[in-house]
Parts: sequence; structure tokens; C-alpha cells
Amino acid sequence: MRHGSSARRPITSGSRRPSRAFPRVETRRPSLGILAVAPLLVPLVFGGTATGGSTERSAPTEPNSDLAAYEAIAERPRLRERWARRPPNLGFLVGAGMLLVYLVAGVSALFVFRGSLDTLPANAAWMNSATVIGPTQAHPFGVMPGFGTDLFDALWRAAPWDLGIVTSILAIDVFLGFFLGAIAGLNEGGLADAFITFVCDSLGTIPTFVLASITFAGLLAVAPGSVGLPVFVAVFGVILWPTMARTVRERARIVAHERYTDSARASGASFSRILLRHIMPNSVGPVLAQLPLDLAPIFFVLAAFPWYYNCQLPGGHPTPPFSPPVPYLVPILPAFSPLPNSAFPEWGYLLGFGTCEAFTFPGNFGYWWMYLFPLLAIVGLGVAVGLVCDGIERWRHFDR
Amino acid sequence: MTGPATEPPAAGAEEKPSGTGPSREPQRPQPRRSFLSPFARYTLRRLLLIPAQLVFVLFILYLVIDVPPALTGTSPESLGAIDQGFVHLVVNIFTLNWGTADYLRYNLPWTQVFAYYLPPSIQLAAFALPIAAVLAYPVSLLAGWSRRPGLDAPVRLATLGAAMLPAFMLGTLVLNLIFFNYLDWFDDVPGQGLIPSSGYFFNHNGAPSWILYGLITRPTGFPLIDAILHHDWTITLISLTKTLIQASVVAVAYLAIFFRHARTIVRSVREEVYIAGARSRGVPEQTILWRHAARAVTPSFLLIFALTIPEYLGVQFAVEVAFADQFGFGYLIFAALVQGYLDPLIPLVFLIAVLVLVWALIVDLVAVRLDPRGVMSR
Repeated sequence: MRHGSSARRPITSGSRRPSRAFPRVETRRPSLGILAVAPLLVPLVFGGTATGGSTERSAPTEPNSDLAAYEAIAERPRLRERWARRPPNLGFLVGAGMLLVYLVAGVSALFVFRGSLDTLPANAAWMNSATVIGPTQAHPFGVMPGFGTDLFDALWRAAPWDLGIVTSILAIDVFLGFFLGAIAGLNEGGLADAFITFVCDSLGTIPTFVLASITFAGLLAVAPGSVGLPVFVAVFGVILWPTMARTVRERARIVAHERYTDSARASGASFSRILLRHIMPNSVGPVLAQLPLDLAPIFFVLAAFPWYYNCQLPGGHPTPPFSPPVPYLVPILPAFSPLPNSAFPEWGYLLGFGTCEAFTFPGNFGYWWMYLFPLLAIVGLGVAVGLVCDGIERWRHFDR
Repeated sequence: MTGPATEPPAAGAEEKPSGTGPSREPQRPQPRRSFLSPFARYTLRRLLLIPAQLVFVLFILYLVIDVPPALTGTSPESLGAIDQGFVHLVVNIFTLNWGTADYLRYNLPWTQVFAYYLPPSIQLAAFALPIAAVLAYPVSLLAGWSRRPGLDAPVRLATLGAAMLPAFMLGTLVLNLIFFNYLDWFDDVPGQGLIPSSGYFFNHNGAPSWILYGLITRPTGFPLIDAILHHDWTITLISLTKTLIQASVVAVAYLAIFFRHARTIVRSVREEVYIAGARSRGVPEQTILWRHAARAVTPSFLLIFALTIPEYLGVQFAVEVAFADQFGFGYLIFAALVQGYLDPLIPLVFLIAVLVLVWALIVDLVAVRLDPRGVMSR
């Protein structure tokens, strides 16, 4: 039974205004404004659990039907009650706190660097490689001589861009992967399942970063360079979904044979209703497991190609034609980079170029700040997302 | 009164229930007999699917590489060539007519270039995969099995962080970490592939005749095997050391990806009834873990391995380019992408897809042999 006074409230079968608890549960629906993250919210809104799924609230057939239906609903705790009974673990709180810090950094950068958010400021005095400035009180993260910019400023300026890129890509990834994987799992052996599985298995043979890079490079031939970043986001989101869909399908096909799903099917529930109220809420585990892993290839592509182009390309570092010799490494973007210019603030780009530049100087690990702080920004975001996802998963399961 | 004489039922026929009226039990359809065993059917189905998957991969590549430039052309001929182009592409790719490498210094057919660059990558994988397996199996089992947060939480955090660490970064760090020690040991630098660097050859009377262009070994193309075949034990030692260093980096970077999937499998096995039963009978925890759980998770681990092969290849490519400027498939892919040469990418990705599909099939078949329930139901 539920806690609180509502459990003692009398229920009358012919009541025109039923108690607060009954209609509130029935009318829960996701709003249109949250369509982008709807798949992740489905289990929270519809209250699926890892062990049994949501109860099908069709008309009861027993004589004392209203009471039975009320009890069935009343026994299910609400979100706030579940939170009170089983508070989230420390990992979740730490992860959520880290994400909050990222969010604050991103939003504040929008106001602080209004008008110059897309370009790193260059200070010619800091470009001298003979007097490289490390972390000091004036420059807490040091200075990157290639850009001639303060690294703290650069990372802060990049925060809204990176959070936007990551959120958009993961939203497309989850939206497609979760829906299509769940449809394939529910329609096991059917045409939709065969098609989705075939596409997933075929595209899954190519490393994600290779496929995403090739697709982006190909599309960039017809798209103007100014839309490179939106095209990159769309391409990466679409490329990532097969991995997500494959893992979701494996779980969904198990859920599709559970008793509560069979009961819903026998009671005449439609395909979409079973999908939304049983399959998806109970298949959210693979999404939470896969989400942090999908972050890695995004930053890999953003970091690896600038690093390779500036540092590892056979024949040496490419310099612009007729450029005078300079005492520092000039950052250059590869041919198909999604970034609009070579002074664009982005964590992956900063990491790639910083790694290159730091090990170009003599002194081995002496210029550690050039890659450490961008790396911490990226790894921190991944760990935060991972902790939150793991926390939600543990919260859904008592034991895990 | 005696009834009509009845013949004894034929051998193998089911005995009908005794009774006066006709049997009301529905006739069960007899299962259709097949000449092939379920395992053979599964293998055949997978083999037949591989060409279809390869054609689909080619279609996607054609769509993103060849079609956009044709669409930008305004002439009707360029648009008309789109539909014919795909057929030509499929025929050329499947007949190994892959064109000539015009942006590399060799100016050789791509098949020849791939034959040069594939063996070192295979040699690296041959060392990296066993190292990854030896590391991943016990760590995943132990961390996933533990109910105490003392072991699971740190491992989970470490692998999460490691999964976010780009593999080229790890390679660069290790390379610089061992650089000076390596220089002292072998009078060589740790990078530049799986053979000694050009600086080493310069100081030691030049490269031997069996190393082409200072990069490619003959006759097999595998640096370690060729060095052994030519009884050059110094180069053998250098090649082995370089391979082990790079393979360890690849294995550690891949472990982070593998572990996250493997941990979930171990957790689910921990909740199985037979595990609880064994525990309730007083079987020691270590016995349950290493005798029951370890055996149960092996097919699932193999499946994860098959599914994450593309990720593994991505890691290996990045480590290859971190340790060398012209070595392995990683170099071919990175160099083509950053310089905007998309032509070699179609045969390159096709080759990767073939490798992944065949490798995944082999792993799946091994998993089927270990536990037919898991894979054959897919």
C-alpha cells in the first residue's frame, strides 16, 4: 500500500470526481517539448521497472474491479516516494554534480564571451616558444603558444560548443537507436526486425570513427563549409544508432516474451502501446550502458585528426604556402574538419593540437598542461555521464 | 465377442489411445526434416549473408563518396552515371580491380599496397588480442562478481575514464615515457612501426636487403617472421619488443570498451538460480566464480568480442599511427582521410568489412559450439 493519507481515502465506483491518485497516474503523458529526450524519459514517465514492467491498466474484469485497480495502482510508488525509499547512490550524485558544473560553465560562457564565442583570442606575446607560460596564478591552466591563448579561457569558451555537439549527437543516437532497437525486438522475426538487424549488422562492420569521417567528408563535398558542424552532428548521430539499436534489440526481444507483455497482448493492447508502455521502459538498461561509450568516438574524431594532421603526417608538419617561418607550431585543420576555422574553441581540437605541440618541444613531459586540461575536460564529461547512467541503472535495480 | 483383428502397430508409429471414438487430439505437425544440422544451417545462413552485407556496405560508401560529387555536376550525363556507377563499383571491388595508389610514393596497384601494409597490422593484432583476452577475462569476472564497491567502483571509474581517453593519446604518452630507455636499450627509437627505425639502419650499415624501402619486409611481410627466417636476431628482438609494447597499449585501450559490456554479463550470471543454489549448498565462492560463472560467461564474452571488433580496429589504427608515421592500415586510413583522398577508402573499408565479418563469424561459431542457445537464436 502507498504511504500517506490517500491509502485511507474511500473509493466509490460511481464517483464522478475520483481521488487525486487515480486520474493523475492515468493522464501522465510526455509533453511535446521533450521529444528529443523522450526515449530516456519513457521509463520515468511510465514507471517501468527492471523486474516487471508497468502494469497494464485496462478495465479490470473482477467483480470488485475498482478496488482491485486502485490497489494495483496504489502499490506502485511515485517518483518522489521511490526517491525517498531508495535514494540514489553516491556515484549518481557525484556525476550529477559534475554535469551541473559543466552546464554552469557552458551557460555562463554564453554570457561572458558573447560575440566572440567562436574564435580563440590570440596574444602575439604568448606565441614565443622560448618563453612558454605554464600554469600560474594569472593563467591557471597555462598558455598554449600555438594559439597564443590562455587555456582556461579557451576551455571555458569551448564548453557551450562541446556540450551542444555532444547533446545533439546523443539525442539523435538515442532517439533512433532506442526506438528502432525496441521495434526490432518486439517484432522479432518480422520484416522490420530483419531490415533493422541487417542494417545494424552491416554498418557495424565498419569502425564508427571511420564511417563517420568518410560520410562527413563525402557530404562536405556538396554542403557549404559553413554548415560543417551541423552536418557533422547529424552524420555522427545517424552513424551511432546501429550500435545502440543492436544492444536495445537484444533486451527488447527478452522483454517481448515476458508474461506481462503477453498479458498486454492478450488483452488487446496495440503494437504501439506495448512498445511504449512495456518494451521501451524495460529496455532502457542497454541505453544507459551504451550512452557513455558513444561519447568516446565523438571526441576521438574531433581530437585525432587535428593531432595527426599537425603532428604525424609523413613529410612533416604542413605549413601554408609562402608563409614566413614562425617560432611556434601553427595550428592547421585537416581537409574535412567540421570546425569552421583554425582558431575555433573545441575541446577535442585543443587536445589534439595540445598533444602535438607539447611533445614537439624538447623536454618530454615538461609541457603537460597543453594536453592534460583538455583531456580532463573530455574525460570528466564522459565519467560524469557514465556515473549518472550507472546511478540510474542501479536505482532501477535494487541490487546492481 | 472378439473384435476385428488388428495389425500390430508399425515400428516407430505412435500408439493411439484406446477408446471407442476417434481421437480428438489435434494432429501435431511433424517437424520438417532437414539434411543439415542446426549448426550447419546457421553457418550456411551466415555465410550467405556476408555477400549481401558487403554489397550493402558498398552501397552506403557509394552513396556518401561517389554520389555527392555527381550530384554537384549539372550535366545529365553525370546524373545518369549514378545508377550505372554502383554496378561498376561492385564488380570492380569484388574482382579486386581497385585501381592504383596515386597519392603514395609507390604508384602501385592498391592490392599490392594493401599486401604491404596488412601483415604488420595482423602481427600487431596477433599479439594484442591474446593480451587483451588475458587481461579482460579475469578483471571483468572479478570486478563484475564482487558485491563490494571496493573493487567494482574503482575498476568501473578507471575503465570509464580510459574509454574516454583517445587511444592515440595513450600511445603518445607511452611512446614518450619509454623513449629514452628504449634508446639506451636498442640504440633505436620506439616508433616507426615494428622494425628498427631509419636512424638505426643509418648507424648499423644500412637496412638489410630483405627490407624493402626501409619499411616492408620480405618474403612474408610479417616483420617478426621475416627476421627469424633471415636469422637476424637483433632485428627479431627489436621487432618483438616493439610489437609487445604497441600490443599492450592496444589491449589496455580496448579493455576499457570490453569491460563495460562484460561487467553487465557477469552481473546477470550472478543472479542465476544455479549460482544461488550452489551458494546455498555451501560451495565456496571462489569455486562458484571460477568453475560455474567463468564457464557460463565465456560464450557471452565471445559474443561481446565479436560485436566490438570494429571498436578494436579503431583502437589499433590509432595506436599504429601514434607509434609510426608509415605503418599498417591505420596509416592508410588516417593519411587518406586528413588529406581528402577518398578513392582508396572504398576498397580499404571493404577489406575491413570482410575481415570483421569473417572474424565475427569465426567467433560466433566458437560461441555456438560452447553454448548453442545464445547465438543461434539471434
